[in-house]
Amino acid sequence: MTKLQEYFHTDWSALTGADWFGLILTVVVFILMVVVYFWVLNPKNKESLEAHRNMLLDENEIESEK
Amino acid sequence: MQAEQQQYSFEVVKWFAYMAVVYLVIGTGIGVWIASELAWPVLNFDNPYISFGRLRPLHTNAVIFAFGGSTLMATAYYIVQRTSGVRLWSDKLAWFTFWGWNLVILSAVITLPLGLTQSKEYAELEWPIDILIAVVWLAYSFNFIMTLSIRKVSHIYVANWFFLAMMIMVTYLHVVNSLAIPVELFKSYSIFSGVQDAMIQWWWGHNAVGFFLTAGFLGIMYYFVPKQANRPVYSYRLSVIHFWALTFGYVWLGAHHLQYTALPDWTGSLGAAISLAMIIPSWGGAINGMFTLSGAWDKLRTDYILRFMIVSLAFYAMSTFEGPIMAAKTVNALSHYTDWTIGHVHAGALGWVAMVSIGAIYHMVERLWGTRIWSVKLVNLHFWMATIGTAVYITAMWVSGIMQGLMWRAYDDYGNLAYTFVESVAEMHPYYAMRAAGGLIFWLGGCIMLFNITVTIRKAMANSAAKSAALANSTI
Repeated sequence: MTKLQEYFHTDWSALTGADWFGLILTVVVFILMVVVYFWVLNPKNKESLEAHRNMLLDENEIESEK
Repeated sequence: MQAEQQQYSFEVVKWFAYMAVVYLVIGTGIGVWIASELAWPVLNFDNPYISFGRLRPLHTNAVIFAFGGSTLMATAYYIVQRTSGVRLWSDKLAWFTFWGWNLVILSAVITLPLGLTQSKEYAELEWPIDILIAVVWLAYSFNFIMTLSIRKVSHIYVANWFFLAMMIMVTYLHVVNSLAIPVELFKSYSIFSGVQDAMIQWWWGHNAVGFFLTAGFLGIMYYFVPKQANRPVYSYRLSVIHFWALTFGYVWLGAHHLQYTALPDWTGSLGAAISLAMIIPSWGGAINGMFTLSGAWDKLRTDYILRFMIVSLAFYAMSTFEGPIMAAKTVNALSHYTDWTIGHVHAGALGWVAMVSIGAIYHMVERLWGTRIWSVKLVNLHFWMATIGTAVYITAMWVSGIMQGLMWRAYDDYGNLAYTFVESVAEMHPYYAMRAAGGLIFWLGGCIMLFNITVTIRKAMANSAAKSAALANSTI
């Protein structure tokens, strides 16, 4: 076993229920974050997202919406 | 203006904003005093109640939770109303958070000098006060969330997302880190022990920085920089990426506080690796804030409030670069336990958190009281004092910290330590004096702000009373 393999070696059988919960949750959240990145950076969504840039400058319009 | 006052619940915002400035002066004042105690130990006066060990947690609690907390509550209540186009969901709950938070601060002022502490950094307060903090924090969060739920616009502006992340994570962090078994009214023992205690403590400690002192203040940045500059934020997409990367990444960093300890080696490596990765979203956010001024940089010549905000972003970028570098094991071997860490913390606390807060408070005061700041010259003077004070402070700590690290690791030809610890302490004296001077300059700037804002508010109230009297006379 190389030093690197040794460093990353994991004794899967030693993982407790809490360990598995944390691991799965972290991986799922990470995947969701990557999905969000793809969605945000997709050129198709640029216009709809960047439209919110002006929200603060249009505050008077927000007030008039009521 | 009057219509706006009726449309929104601004009274509680005004009180939080003013108290934030009062606590800025008190908290940094205690900081200057304890910095002086380190430079000139005679100032401890052999009095346990004002010794460094007891006043230091009072200083950190005052600046983080009293000043920082009041600023966060003022700005969150202000921003959520303005971006949602509605009043706060509950005025009573908002006032409960105001009095409750001030009661927490008063409790800290009494218990910490008496030596009543859990001995957990940035979480020193004993268990009854911890419960009060949780109740007040939940009331604050609930009121914010309910205000969002009754908003008149469909989109939730990104500043509110940062506040939400802060509220959720700080609740989680505070409750878990404060889990303790009470044995007396003001004595308890943490349910964690050994290395688990250390890991939980720094999971809390670094996320107090990441969520209380960063996410919340980024919410402030994303609202007040575009408003003060009167320009749209540079990139909304970048703000979304900044938010998710920061929220996902920050929770991993705590282990970098425990390099070369009993904590498993891989945990520290993971903390350091994610710390380095965090440079990307942090700089993305800083660039997003600064580039909001693209095409309007000339505003910095005349707008002193904007100067506070943009300089705060420069400090944010600098300290979020410095932090990951210090987390790397090679650098950490030199920097840890030295004054370099204190310098880094203050680059973030004074340069980023305090400066962006000061800019936001000046901005709010003008709008909340419907007036202009009494003296723009004093705002300018405050800006330079805050900037120079911060620069002097952090420079002193960099030099002192690196010197300490080098002296502690120096060996002679026989493998003996080249310097005793006391020798390293003696060498620090000029830099400790310089740090006290830097802190004093920053504190004096805070005093000027308090004076300027007090006069502004008094004049605005007098004008308002005179107008009301004139209106009443004209209708008779």
